[in-house]
Amino acid sequence: MSGWGQIGAILRKDLIRELRTRDMLVSMALFALLAMVIFHWAFTVRGDTDLTYFTGGMLWVTFVFAMLLGLNRSFAQEKDEHCLDGLLLCPVDRVTIFLAKTVGNLVFLLIIQAVAVPVFVLFFVEGGFLEGLPAFLAVLLLADLGICALGTLLATISMNTRSRDLLLPILFLPLIVPLLVAATSATTLVLADGAGVREIGGRLLFMLGFDAVFLVVAWGTYDFAIGE
Amino acid sequence: MKKLVSAPALFLWAGAFLIVGLLLAFWWAPVDASAMGFSQKIFYYHAPIAETSLVGFGVAFAAAVMYLRTQDLKWDRLGYVSVRLGLLFAVLVMFTGMIWGKSSWGVWWAWEPRLTTFLLVCFLYAAYFVLRSVVEEEQRRATYAAVFAVIAFIDVPITWFATRLIPEGLHPVVFKAGDTGMEGSMFASFMISMIGMTLLLAALIRHGWQIELLKDRVTDLKSILGG
Repeated sequence: MSGWGQIGAILRKDLIRELRTRDMLVSMALFALLAMVIFHWAFTVRGDTDLTYFTGGMLWVTFVFAMLLGLNRSFAQEKDEHCLDGLLLCPVDRVTIFLAKTVGNLVFLLIIQAVAVPVFVLFFVEGGFLEGLPAFLAVLLLADLGICALGTLLATISMNTRSRDLLLPILFLPLIVPLLVAATSATTLVLADGAGVREIGGRLLFMLGFDAVFLVVAWGTYDFAIGE
Repeated sequence: MKKLVSAPALFLWAGAFLIVGLLLAFWWAPVDASAMGFSQKIFYYHAPIAETSLVGFGVAFAAAVMYLRTQDLKWDRLGYVSVRLGLLFAVLVMFTGMIWGKSSWGVWWAWEPRLTTFLLVCFLYAAYFVLRSVVEEEQRRATYAAVFAVIAFIDVPITWFATRLIPEGLHPVVFKAGDTGMEGSMFASFMISMIGMTLLLAALIRHGWQIELLKDRVTDLKSILGG
């Protein structure tokens, strides 16, 4: 089986497993929607508070925390049922496992976003969203890729430790801050100031660089992270 | 020659440079002409501490790469000691930075790129110790710690760059490209403090590393005697 075939096989396994139970997707989606409602009440200090300049922050805090839920879940299942041992026994390159897992987490995050973003727009964005859609999608994809690549690597490490899901946020959040800074400010520029791809080009480039750097680093270190 | 770079000698060199640097900073270098005035003197400690902290993390990065290549636990010990000292210096950067901030900007805390980066660095390397504490198996702990040390060190400049994306201009930019922005006497005092601080780090790392290796040796001997 070729490398792409192997990635596809692992990905298909993860998707089938998740679609059978749906517990991860349902909790992630509900969490994302709940977070938005909470944010609305947390930031509305007066009846007429303008939340437009909080949109980037609300969106990315929501997705990062939703992803933390999902990442923990996706590896807990592997570990509990000893699926990972089986996976490691297969004649598959470790890097292939990393790529398949990253793509899997990316697919889950995109599914959540397909549900949560329209609701978010309905709640917080006052028109003009469609003009900014290309820029918004560019930010979304670049930030998602970085979150999933770094998240997959760190979730693999934390799953193999004693404290498991407690450890992941502590490792993940400080590392993801640069990406969050760029994604948040770019999203706010698009949603609040109607900026296009050109205006946020620098930030997009930065996110692209971040993704590239950590994909390469994860590529190089995943062998060590997943263990023997 | 060997005596000049032995562990006690390194401490003596560091002490000498730091004391001379301190004396020069206060009595030779002029009081800063800008609004910062006398409070700028803390710069002769603040900046060398910051530089030393990053050197500590750099050593940890190199040790992590060496460990991942060789799987020799002595590199893990070097990484552990370097991160510990780097983190200590990073915390000192926060404190000296806050003191300076209070006296020159009037606030204890400002979300300024470099200070914010060091705050995140503190969180990052604190996580390093949490990670170490939750893995029991020796070899696996060393591997995870090394992987994390590599990622964390790569993240530091990226964080600094990202925090600069948000326009801010509070931090006094003392070094500019092509122009050091300092008078000769200030620059010389600063460099002497910097060399002193770096030597102090080198001495502390060396000392700490020897202790860790001795601990390992004791453990080995105990298991030989007990087994």
